Amino acid sequence: MKKEIRIGVYICHCGFNIAKTVRVKEVAEFASKLPGVVMARDYMYTCSDPGQEQIRNDIKEYNLNRVVVAACSPNMHEKTFRRVVAEAGLNPFLYQNANIREHCSWVHEEGATEKAKDIVAAAVSRVIYHQPLETKEVEIKKDTLVVGGGIAGMMASMDIANGGYKVHLVEKTSSIGGHIIQFDKTFPTLDCAACITTPKMSDTGSHRNINLLNYSVVEEVSGFTGNFQSKIRKKAKYIDQTKCTGCRLCFDSCPVVMKNEFDMMLADRKAVYIPFPQAVPNKAVIDRREDRPCKASCMYACPINTNVPGYVKLIADGRFKEAYMLIRSTNPFPSTCGRVCYAPCEVACDRNNIDKPVAIRDLKRFADEQVDADDLDIPEIEKTGKTVVVIGAGPSGLSAAHDLAMLGHSVTVFESLPQAGGMLRYGIPEYRLPKDVLNKEINYIKRLGADIRTGVIVGKDVPISELQNDYDAVYIAVGAQGKMKLGIKNEDLPGVIEGVSFLRSAALGENIPLGRKVAVIGGGNTAVDCARTALRLGAEEVTIVYRRTINEMPAAPEEIEAAKEEGIKIEYLTSPVCFMSEEDTLSQMECIRMELQAPDSSGRPRPMPIEGSEFTIPADTVITALGQVPETDFTKKIGIALGKNGTINISTETGATNIEGIFAGGDAVTGPGYVIDAIAAGKTAAVYIDRYLKDESLEWRPEKQVKEELTETEITGLKNKYPKIERAKMPELPVRERILGFKEVSLGLGVNEARREAGRCLAGQIEGCIQCGECARRCGVNAVNLNMKDEIVELDVGNIIVATGYDTFDPSVIKQLGYKKYDNVMTSLEFERINSPTGPTGGQIRMKNGEVPESIAIVHCVGSRDKNYHEYCSRVCCTAGLKFAHLIKDKIGADVYEMYIDMRSFGESCEEFYNRVASEDGVKFIRGKATSVTDKAINEEEQGKLIVSVEDSLIPKMLRVPVDMVILLVAMQPRDDSDDIARIFLLNKRADGFFMEQHIKLGPVSTMTEGVFLAGCCEGPKDVPDSVAHAKAAASEVLSRLALGKTEIEPTIAIVDEDICSGCGLCVKICAYGAPSIIEPQHRSHVNEALCKGCGACAATCPSGAISHKHFNFKELLSEVEALAA
Amino acid sequence: MSNQIDKDNFEPKIVAFLCHWCSYKAADLAGTSRLAYPTNVRTIRTMCSGSVDPVYIIKALLDGADGVLVGGCVLGDCHYQSGNYKARRKMIILHAQLRALGIDEDRVWLRWISASDGVMFRDVIFEMVEALKAKGPNPMKNPWDIWKSAKGGWKPKTINSPRGE
Repeated sequence: MKKEIRIGVYICHCGFNIAKTVRVKEVAEFASKLPGVVMARDYMYTCSDPGQEQIRNDIKEYNLNRVVVAACSPNMHEKTFRRVVAEAGLNPFLYQNANIREHCSWVHEEGATEKAKDIVAAAVSRVIYHQPLETKEVEIKKDTLVVGGGIAGMMASMDIANGGYKVHLVEKTSSIGGHIIQFDKTFPTLDCAACITTPKMSDTGSHRNINLLNYSVVEEVSGFTGNFQSKIRKKAKYIDQTKCTGCRLCFDSCPVVMKNEFDMMLADRKAVYIPFPQAVPNKAVIDRREDRPCKASCMYACPINTNVPGYVKLIADGRFKEAYMLIRSTNPFPSTCGRVCYAPCEVACDRNNIDKPVAIRDLKRFADEQVDADDLDIPEIEKTGKTVVVIGAGPSGLSAAHDLAMLGHSVTVFESLPQAGGMLRYGIPEYRLPKDVLNKEINYIKRLGADIRTGVIVGKDVPISELQNDYDAVYIAVGAQGKMKLGIKNEDLPGVIEGVSFLRSAALGENIPLGRKVAVIGGGNTAVDCARTALRLGAEEVTIVYRRTINEMPAAPEEIEAAKEEGIKIEYLTSPVCFMSEEDTLSQMECIRMELQAPDSSGRPRPMPIEGSEFTIPADTVITALGQVPETDFTKKIGIALGKNGTINISTETGATNIEGIFAGGDAVTGPGYVIDAIAAGKTAAVYIDRYLKDESLEWRPEKQVKEELTETEITGLKNKYPKIERAKMPELPVRERILGFKEVSLGLGVNEARREAGRCLAGQIEGCIQCGECARRCGVNAVNLNMKDEIVELDVGNIIVATGYDTFDPSVIKQLGYKKYDNVMTSLEFERINSPTGPTGGQIRMKNGEVPESIAIVHCVGSRDKNYHEYCSRVCCTAGLKFAHLIKDKIGADVYEMYIDMRSFGESCEEFYNRVASEDGVKFIRGKATSVTDKAINEEEQGKLIVSVEDSLIPKMLRVPVDMVILLVAMQPRDDSDDIARIFLLNKRADGFFMEQHIKLGPVSTMTEGVFLAGCCEGPKDVPDSVAHAKAAASEVLSRLALGKTEIEPTIAIVDEDICSGCGLCVKICAYGAPSIIEPQHRSHVNEALCKGCGACAATCPSGAISHKHFNFKELLSEVEALAA
Repeated sequence: MSNQIDKDNFEPKIVAFLCHWCSYKAADLAGTSRLAYPTNVRTIRTMCSGSVDPVYIIKALLDGADGVLVGGCVLGDCHYQSGNYKARRKMIILHAQLRALGIDEDRVWLRWISASDGVMFRDVIFEMVEALKAKGPNPMKNPWDIWKSAKGGWKPKTINSPRGE
């Protein structure tokens, strides 16, 4: 038999809140006549204890089985009254609320009573159909997620962690600390902010129950109260945090200079950085925002892996000295390589895919020209006490000497020629590499402590065995000085000169008998150098004879071009047959034409003489530039293994010869080669000599980065994204002037050209880290890993505290206040940084020009209490303004004007602080809102000042106050990304944009989403004590839930009537949580209770009405509709 | 004619289905902020705008409501991820069906009202009352009046749920 419905109805007065506009007795009278209603009462405060007691008694006395309370919103007291009926033995879901306060008495006057009756009638007709529902208890997961590492997040985390529960603290920047650590001092006690915060930071960072996830963001939260699943993106830091020691060695060399957000963009930081000295964790991260568009092929192409993107970026940024130092960090010969390097980097440059390569060599020379190597400081180097001897002061020997000296070894260099430099001095003509430039570089190596002894021939003046005994290690870099013979008739005629000897004599300024007509045999740089030198020494006609074509010519194209410009003829496909003499002197050279055939072993086409094509070239002098061979016979005495042509056999990876402790490199090993290869060999040998001297294994190999290639798609992308830009052309001396002497031909780039050219580098086109890897090279513990990827961490947590803090208002939108227009108008947070000992001025209150301000205006309520921006009061600004006034007086004694609307300095000790500051000399209070800041002076006194217009509303009168500096006390406002945070954590936002608490007074940290709590300024502006109190309240909510260990979940979920279900699957499609699924073989839908969130979408969609939404089912809703619509 | 007089004195009755998370809270906020609006609206709390079955709306119109408001969270902010999009799809179909039946679809409104927007809730009620006053009474109202008993003596009927509950 159906049980009789017995409803009790309670009409609450809510004091006068309801009773003022709703005639409550009339409503109760009305209700009492509604079907099913057994009794109806009105009462002053139904939610009070006596009110609750009344309901409990009535349930028993009248045998009620349904209860309706017409009072405030269900969001306020639905839970209360459900509990009340439950206490009286009824199922709590047999209760229904009628909202006659928020939806009726508070918004209506006339007609409120009639409306209240309708609302009550609807509730009564609905409650009839209510079904008892069983609330399910679920366990609460023990871990807590705290989002935001400011003072609120830290304090909440500490409280929970101290309670013995695990906390995952997520902070999006690289350090915890939040805004408070940016402050200098905190009001009203004037505690140093760092002193009160850093201990908390370090406690938080090292707490065994706190898992700190810095540089991380929460991406997704799912699940339900007590059982949340969160996905956290740990952004790649590119530095292994377990290895980083926070030594900051990598910072100096990083070429990417960025603004430090921590210093409010007032100071610079590098792309690899720790935001401030007391950061927790004190580990570097790399600010990498996007991938470099090119693959830095230049660095891989360079034999010494010069950081080309790095120094080019520094040149583009105008940081020339830093660019030079970056080059010098790997290359002891920047000025040489900036002039004569064959620049494999430019061949490899990825910009080749768009237009022309970046003029890397010219930029290197430019950087070099901005610095005088003689002015460089010599670093302090700790001596190791080991001795190394280097034989040969060419580029390879000197590079080794440089690096070994830097490593603290005592280096002695023996050189057979009168001056050091080797081929750089005696092989490369002055017009390409001026000697004074070279001298500076060699001089630096001498200043490092290398003892260079010239004019000593090892093997003749000093036996090598003696060196082997006297020194701990030997590096042989004697180059390739031996001549090669043509092997043709009359080669010994006086007019036939060997090329390298010729250049050496020219460099030494010796008198060389040179004819009018000079022929040069060969196709390398030496041949071209010889030809151009001969021209400068007075030859009238110079011809280069080369047996292949221009395509095979090894000389640098620009050198060939320059030679042609200077009037030098080149006979391609021509080979000498014999020299012919007249009266024992050379008169002409017989040559034969060649043709190219299939490639030989060197990969180049093999030239073959064409029979019968002989012809003669008139020549007084022939210079043979055929290449050289090393002269290494002196090493045989100690048994060094030699190869063909006298080259020294080494292990190419280490430079070690077959004899222990003896290393070799450069042309002596390879035969004639390029300068940069010789430098590379010297540097490699230095690394292994150092290891040898330290008794470390020579088997060790540096980590090799694998070079990536651009894909076709990437190349197309580059072409679309980056326009063609003309490559800078190096200005040159006019040909007329060139051939008159040995003045340097290339003139170097100007500052503007260089910066523009450097701007062409693709690597520098991105924001943040350019992935040049300089930090990796500097890091002593191998912590840098540029291939790191973001990591997603999944955490199951029972409770969540959102403590994401606030942003400050950007006052540049209030144009008349002149922020960003005038240098000395700043925000409160910027002033905090300037005033802070860790800030950009080291805590000195200074204007932009470095002068001490004599007067400062502090403008209150900028963006706060302003209908145009934020209507609310930001709460902290008044007292912060007082704090500033006091600190300014204390530090520099300047006059301070406080321009305020109302002085709202409340809170513990704040009134006393106000009185103290107000009584200080020179702090003037002007009650009125500052309207504008200008630099337009109208009288003598205002000249050179910022003039603040303000109405003194106490006089009342408009004032013009001339000051040196203006501090705008800017509003606290919701975070830029607060919309995203609201979405992730299912939070509501108030009209002011801050997150909405569950109840303004009674639920200040709870939210509409059970298990998610708020702490600190994300809920609204707060000072530090209030933030901390709020955080501790949130922690207390979490701890009380954890102490209980379980929570109830609403049983108001969907349920399927399997008899009606047709298995159509629409519910499966519509559910956002995957709760319903089709069960086979019945082919019916079934709702997984754990997944269902109770939204009811499936019930509203089910075409057969098989699904119903518990507590919001059709009967309940339709009866409510009927009561209200009729 | 008399129609004109009717319109002047006509007070439309609006049934508002408000989602628990946003629009119901907005109506609460209008209350706490004491934002007065006409008494014409009666609210029904649903968990989500996406769970408002079109049947409820039709039922309200048949029972005599002059207008129906469905309030949901702002698009993108749904507490249930996408319930308000589902509400929007349902509304488009319902509007089409009402049009086909010759019923004025503009009597059924769908609005996104965030929990912080008490002002919008008030404004929507003002707008809707004005619009419905211009339309005049719901023509379907009269035939169903026979279901209604004498004034003040409203009785619940046995509800024959279309879904057979």
